Amino acid sequence: PVTAGSIVVPYGHVIGNEKWRGSEIAQRLQGKIRLIFEDGLGLVDFHLSNRTCILYISETDLVAGDEFKRRLVRFRNASSHGGIVIIEKTQISGQYFLAVQKLVVLELGMVLLPVANQGEASQLITQLVSFVREQSKDHNSNPFLRKRCSQLVEPSVFRTVQQIPGVGKTKALLLLQQFGSIHRLCNASVKELELVVGQTVAQQIYAF
Amino acid sequence: KDTCRSTSLPFCSASTNVSSAPALSSRDPLEKKPSLCVLVDSREISSGAEVISSLKAVHGVKVQVCSLGTSDYVVSNRMAVERKFLSELLNSVNRNKITQRIQRLQSMFERICVIVEKDRIKPGETTRFFQRTQYYDSMLSALVQAGIRILFSSCQEETAGLLKDLALVEQRKDAGIRVPTEVEGHKREMLNFYLSIPNLSYLAALNLCHRFDSVREVANSSVPAIAAGAQVSPQKAEEIYRYLRYGFEAQLLPGDLCAKGR
Repeated sequence: PVTAGSIVVPYGHVIGNEKWRGSEIAQRLQGKIRLIFEDGLGLVDFHLSNRTCILYISETDLVAGDEFKRRLVRFRNASSHGGIVIIEKTQISGQYFLAVQKLVVLELGMVLLPVANQGEASQLITQLVSFVREQSKDHNSNPFLRKRCSQLVEPSVFRTVQQIPGVGKTKALLLLQQFGSIHRLCNASVKELELVVGQTVAQQIYAF
Repeated sequence: KDTCRSTSLPFCSASTNVSSAPALSSRDPLEKKPSLCVLVDSREISSGAEVISSLKAVHGVKVQVCSLGTSDYVVSNRMAVERKFLSELLNSVNRNKITQRIQRLQSMFERICVIVEKDRIKPGETTRFFQRTQYYDSMLSALVQAGIRILFSSCQEETAGLLKDLALVEQRKDAGIRVPTEVEGHKREMLNFYLSIPNLSYLAALNLCHRFDSVREVANSSVPAIAAGAQVSPQKAEEIYRYLRYGFEAQLLPGDLCAKGR
């Protein structure tokens, strides 16, 4: 049973799969976020938003065999949602981690985040949820999504022109004052260049 | 260090049977395999010596050390890889440093991957206690939200393996590094010229170097031609195009630079 259809997650809530009722994760999440249980989520364990959901792979899943891989592949094929896979990486399951990572991140292109136990998982989910929420309000909360402020281009153009052999700070300034842009400087003839700099340098610039 | 590799082997072979995703081995054997190439920042020689030697020796990847400045590794035309120690991500002391570095990468590369590597255990030290912090979780969440890939590694050898895998995937997607990575003489001067263009990655500069005969040719090229030559997105090509045509105003130059120029 694959539920690929979009599930509507009410604002500020997380929808959990019925099977997590009473689990350690659920207990720890409650109180921090509003968790609703629903039956028939299929492959997904938690829906954080309409587009982001979590698939949880426990230590036992890892040790038991390849069933969880089928689940991941089925999810990937059926859904366009951003899937975050949370995996219990313990001393016992640690040996499988590298191969699972290769499958999930490199081949399926999903996100994989290791935790040591359900307690850590609940902490991580809380953080993920708060980011999902803040993001809908304002982009600036995430430093990696912040828009960069535009900078003055002049200093860079000045530096770029100095990379031409034979051109230092003085000549770069003269050249730019005369020609205005790198494009025009590139298309200047030797004669035009000679009016600004000496013959040798003019040749050098033209040849560059 | 051997344990981490040998234990993962039986699982690897099992995974290829199960996954319906394209397996790495489904390559046409007749097709001549182009050699993999990874660019390494020169600073990694001191901090990641085993990564480099393992890339060369175990994986047979061509490693080119150059001063990338912004990123630790470049595995394709569009992807930069940043190697971070777990301890750096656990502690909020490094927050500004890390965010600034990743923001710079974002201005240069289409895709970014962060490899979180477990800290090396110093001789005589028993396993370091790993206390998961809320800051660490929020850092991971922020990275995930921004679409930055995260990989986890337990040692330098594993990091090397991950780098190779990333380069392989990128090659399969037709974004592999194809131009010669060594430059000499006139080409070196041209490379330095291109590198001074803001937000241009080392590899885009390298591509420009090899695919255009002169700077003049680049300056007179259209946006699509620049995009194809430098192997960058149309937006990035547009940025380059505008930069080369930018009308310079001496008055806008910061005072100190101007003073030195006179």
